[in-house]
Amino acid sequence: MAGVLLALATALAGCQREERQLRLDPPIADALDKIALMPNRISGAPPDVYFVLGKPYEVNAYNLSQGKRLYAWFGCKSCHGDGQGGSGPGFLDGWWYYGPEMVSIFASIRDGRPHGMPAFGDRMTTDQIWQLAGYVQTIGSYEGKTAAPSRNDEKQTRPAENRAPAKLLFDEGPSPVHPDQGPTP
Amino acid sequence: MNRPATTTGMRDIDIARTKLTGALAETWTTPSGFWGALATVDHKIIGRRYIFTAFVFLALGGVLAALMRIQLAQPEARLLGPDRYNQIFTMHGANMMFLFAVPVMEAVAVYLVPLMVGTRNIAFPRLNAFSYWIYLAGGMLLWTAFALDMGPDVGWFAYVPLSGPQYGAGKRADIWAQMITFTELSALAVAVELVVTIFKQRAPGMTLDRIPVFVWAMLVTSFLVIMAMPAIMIASTSLILDRLVGTHFYNPAEGGDVLLWQHLFWFFGHPEVYIIFLPAAGMVSTMIEPFARRPAFGYLGLVMALIATGILSFGLWVHHMFVAGLPRLGDSFFTASSMAIAIPAGIQIFCWIATLWDGRPVFKTPLLFIIGFIVTFVIGGLTGVMVASVPFDTQVHDTYFVVAHFHYVLIGGAVFPLLGTIHYWFPKLTGRMMSETLGRWSFWLIFIGFNATFFPMHILGLEGMPRRIYTYQPDLPWHGLNLFISLSAVILIAGFLLFFVNVIRSARSGEVAPDNPWDAPTLEWATTSPPPSYNFAMIPVVGSLHPLWSERDTLPVADGLRTDRRELIVTTLATAEPQARDASPQNSIWPLWAAIATTIMLIWSIFSPWAVVWGSIPVAVALIGWFWPKGTPEDES
Repeated sequence: MAGVLLALATALAGCQREERQLRLDPPIADALDKIALMPNRISGAPPDVYFVLGKPYEVNAYNLSQGKRLYAWFGCKSCHGDGQGGSGPGFLDGWWYYGPEMVSIFASIRDGRPHGMPAFGDRMTTDQIWQLAGYVQTIGSYEGKTAAPSRNDEKQTRPAENRAPAKLLFDEGPSPVHPDQGPTP
Repeated sequence: MNRPATTTGMRDIDIARTKLTGALAETWTTPSGFWGALATVDHKIIGRRYIFTAFVFLALGGVLAALMRIQLAQPEARLLGPDRYNQIFTMHGANMMFLFAVPVMEAVAVYLVPLMVGTRNIAFPRLNAFSYWIYLAGGMLLWTAFALDMGPDVGWFAYVPLSGPQYGAGKRADIWAQMITFTELSALAVAVELVVTIFKQRAPGMTLDRIPVFVWAMLVTSFLVIMAMPAIMIASTSLILDRLVGTHFYNPAEGGDVLLWQHLFWFFGHPEVYIIFLPAAGMVSTMIEPFARRPAFGYLGLVMALIATGILSFGLWVHHMFVAGLPRLGDSFFTASSMAIAIPAGIQIFCWIATLWDGRPVFKTPLLFIIGFIVTFVIGGLTGVMVASVPFDTQVHDTYFVVAHFHYVLIGGAVFPLLGTIHYWFPKLTGRMMSETLGRWSFWLIFIGFNATFFPMHILGLEGMPRRIYTYQPDLPWHGLNLFISLSAVILIAGFLLFFVNVIRSARSGEVAPDNPWDAPTLEWATTSPPPSYNFAMIPVVGSLHPLWSERDTLPVADGLRTDRRELIVTTLATAEPQARDASPQNSIWPLWAAIATTIMLIWSIFSPWAVVWGSIPVAVALIGWFWPKGTPEDES
């Protein structure tokens, strides 16, 4: 019985993790745009529909991998590098100027932030912004997600997202890992 | 085997015939009940399971094909979206190649080869049980994943970079790669068993030139499996490593190579075609004899053609990669070798035609399928020679012309003989005959339906319709032919449904079959239908290529085998002279545990590399249980 339940739970998780929503219904996209931010525009609450859908932009493999492509296509690399930062802040070091919540990252991308972060709200659709936000959060995650994307077909500068690069950097341990090196499997 | 009894123990010469069969049955029979069924190592029970499972996968793959045909029947259809369509064509191809075509050929061999060479069980019977469980687990992995929207969507050959870490999101490509590992593991296990069975367990007197052609075909096929499958196992393992751990086998930026995938895949993938076709050719050569009422024409030519095809099949994998960009010499070499393989195929075709020409053919259902095979396979072979030419291939690559070509060679070359095989050996599998009327109806429906479905695809391809598209626009000139193809597919499906109805009805209430209903010449017809658990009460002694024709009344037998333990005769490789009495393993539940442990390790390793470390512990425990010493001598010379 327990085994059946476990199989069922895994199955449902599997469904959600692999589903590919290629185009959102316009009403859902509108609802997803209505986040409730705190007055200082840091932290807040996503719309209810986000939870009804099952946090699709944090746990769904397709959305995360689309986020990774958007990260390259919209030039995020030119300031944030591969996540280690450049003229913009890095995501791997455990510091989030506006907090690690999805809504804060969503707001940063949609509306921009002071000191150089432009607003992308008029260049990307709502679900693209959510996909990108989910990916950016994954770069800095301390736990490797099974749904996270793997390496790209290019020069390797840090461990891939599914190997939790932020955790490796943050966890000095007896033998700290240099960001250029991958972890041992 | 008239040697003095060197050890104690009951021998078959010591007791009367009636008591003999009782004693053998007690030693060999699989105990009834749940655990008995799970622990059995009887090649007949496992072979039947294998065949049944493979046909279930055929039916499931057919459902996918039907879905694709409904979707493509009209332009801009809305039944399937692009994502689901990608999964469906990938599942259709992977399922038909890895879960149906290869396993079903090996399954038929698992059942028939020990009977045809006159022995009591396959070599390494526990490995045989293990291979079935692994095959079942691999099939369930693929189909469960598909049901969960996790089905692979990268084509049945999963080219990188599409299937690689950058573009293959989620675990879909990993499911494909690991399913490959399962099916290759089971295929390799069966191949090793068959080689040893054919080399060392042939009945006394069955010299190399007295081996039935189907057994020869399985020998060559098994060597192809042993040499081709490691390439794909390396490929699929390194793909999973790239995707999970971040290795760079297929990453050109870090010194990897994208084309490496295509070479590794097709170095396996092309011999794979012959792994499917050679058993079918062997089945035809063996089945044609009782229906032509004469020995197959050109035994030596048929066997040499099988071996030549096997060797040549490793020299033409690059013709799948003509559009990848090759040096001129490569183009010419692989064009020449691709055309050269038509020679051994042609030799076989002419031998079969000569056999029918000179014989007095009896047109029963199996022979109808053989003739259907010759017609469709020749058409498929001719388009094969066409696409072997680089300029032509460049034109039709990735179009429906190629779809038409490979369905002609695979369905024409393998499924037609296989359906004939089921009709022919059904009495040996179940003890009952299949209905001749239903058989004829299903043959004509399948033959007409198949040609009406797939022939127009040649034209569609020449008109430029690409493969793997989920829909097309109404202003393209393809919708008339597509609708015709989809309607013809209904006839084809009706033929297959009728075949399945025939199988189920005949298995339940068919006419009870005598030992040798077709008056066939090979050894499997020398025992009852279906055979007893010990196959033969006395091991036959073979004096010719057609033992049941040359010695119709009394087949000489060997004696001296013990009846109180599982024993079979080991013979020399070339001349099949008796060498030893070898013990054949008892039933064991350990192969099942080993298969479950291996399954857990392999599936877990899609998600975490640590699975290989921790998952290998249960595998080791299961293998220790499996090989625990029994303290009895293995064989007596």
